[in-house]
Amino acid sequence: MAKIVIIDDDPDILDASSLVLNSKGHEVITATNPEDGYQLVIDNSPDLIILDVMMNEPDDGFFLAQKFRRSKITVPILMYSSVSKTIGMSFGVNELVPVDDFVEKPISPSLLVEKVEHLLQLRKEK
Amino acid sequence: MVSLVPSWAIYNEEFWGAIKRRNSWFIKLRYGAVLMLFVFIVSSEYLLGIKFTNTQLVALSLINCIILVYNGILQWVRIYLKCDPFKFNPLHFSLVQMLLDLTALMLVVYFTGGIETPLFMLFVFHMIIGSLILPGTVIYTIAFSVVFVFYGIVFGEYHNLISHHAVTGLLQTPLYNNFKFSVAYSTIFGFVILMSVVLANKIANQLYRMEQELVESLEQLKAAEVEKQKYVMGVVHEIKTPLAALHSYLDLILQGFLGSVNEKVLNKLNRARTRSAEAIQLTNDVLSVSKLRLLDEIKKEEIKVRDILSSVIQKQRAIIERKKIKLHFKDNRKVKAKILGDRFLLEIAFSNLISNAFKYIDDEGVVEIILDEKGNGIQLEVCDNGIGIPEKDLEKIFNDFYRASNIRSKGYEGTGMGLSIIKHVIERHGGTVEVQSPARLASENKPGTSFLVFLPLES
Repeated sequence: MAKIVIIDDDPDILDASSLVLNSKGHEVITATNPEDGYQLVIDNSPDLIILDVMMNEPDDGFFLAQKFRRSKITVPILMYSSVSKTIGMSFGVNELVPVDDFVEKPISPSLLVEKVEHLLQLRKEK
Repeated sequence: MVSLVPSWAIYNEEFWGAIKRRNSWFIKLRYGAVLMLFVFIVSSEYLLGIKFTNTQLVALSLINCIILVYNGILQWVRIYLKCDPFKFNPLHFSLVQMLLDLTALMLVVYFTGGIETPLFMLFVFHMIIGSLILPGTVIYTIAFSVVFVFYGIVFGEYHNLISHHAVTGLLQTPLYNNFKFSVAYSTIFGFVILMSVVLANKIANQLYRMEQELVESLEQLKAAEVEKQKYVMGVVHEIKTPLAALHSYLDLILQGFLGSVNEKVLNKLNRARTRSAEAIQLTNDVLSVSKLRLLDEIKKEEIKVRDILSSVIQKQRAIIERKKIKLHFKDNRKVKAKILGDRFLLEIAFSNLISNAFKYIDDEGVVEIILDEKGNGIQLEVCDNGIGIPEKDLEKIFNDFYRASNIRSKGYEGTGMGLSIIKHVIERHGGTVEVQSPARLASENKPGTSFLVFLPLES
């Protein structure tokens, strides 16, 4: 049982991800833009943040991830990336972007569950 | 320092390159001229029955030596020149060369009889070269000076103001003291010199203008291509977003997150998933290609091709085992040289190339991957005994979205972008890709395909 905030501008991705994570017994809170997402994280202090790259937004996912880290929010961040790998921005975790892992879109439910459980496990061990 | 850069010279790099090439060409040519003058001095007595006086012999030999010496110095100075329009640059260097040459030629002309020597025609050649590289005013000044100095020599000799050095044996009767001859020849000479300069200068001007227009159009084309690729990437990304959502929903259902679904529906959903995966693969491929075309420069990392190949093969283990493919990977190189290239791009290219071999092959097929040395580079051969490529498709398979007729009819899935990506990546590395089908491993009903990739060690 963990509290997870998902921030993505695609409501269907939010719906699908929530469905998957709910079915594993997690509580999911969603936001469709970076501002709401930031507020949600501040208000709810979740155990995990899932963040889309959101290239269309002026303050994209990378920016938001930085903002969380600057606000001393150390919750693990899982990033949904859409084109990053295919266009060669194969940055390593924590190198350029302060996130803990990536999930390439389209999201495979089983992979998502696997990565989420892994990050939550790491958080517990800390 | 006077800037000698002509007003029409805008494209600096190309312009300076041309000037530098010409300078080095002049220096080589001048050695030839020295040799010719030497042969002329030595052999003309035997070949043409010409007899030089001692003064002429000494003067001509001395001039030849001086030319040889200044050419040596010029050759040495040339190396240290910088293409700065406001300092002593290759253009000033050309001017210096031209002045030295004209002086030497003027002296040779004087010591071989002034108006009587055919050598004064060589001035025309100098003037044309000068017009091609020097700005109008400079070359006009030079042309007028040449004509006036020449007139000075001709009429100085006519009036016995300076001594005449006749070439004995060349003419039956002396002509330097013939007024009509001197006037006629020197007038025409002056006219030819000035006209060559005017015409050559105009032609050079027009040529450079056309070149400029070409360069401009080329740049516009490049800019348009960049815009196009950005647009394509934008559109494809927009298409990928809903596709990704669709795909995630299908996975959600298929992986049982919404409870069980009856088998008939499940089959169709699986089919839908396959097709949407295909569409996503296509968007990824298009994005990779667009990105490649937007990249002006590729990375230059030191790469061990063998390592990339091993890792690519490792990632394909599943299909190799499933299809029981007999894979032979050989590295026949004596020296395992590294190449300079972009690891990410080469990985994409090799992965496409090798997965094609595994894909378009029957179970228990044979695939050979061979690395070898070839010229100043390495050659990678990926050869299989798979379904091959029909002859009529061979020249089109590297086109975007092109899929050979036999794979379309047999229902293999694919986007038709793989080979286009491979070709693009390899060419970006200065290499080439060739295809052969039927291939070396061909047998009955299994023509097979062989891809030969050449990558230079230094691209």
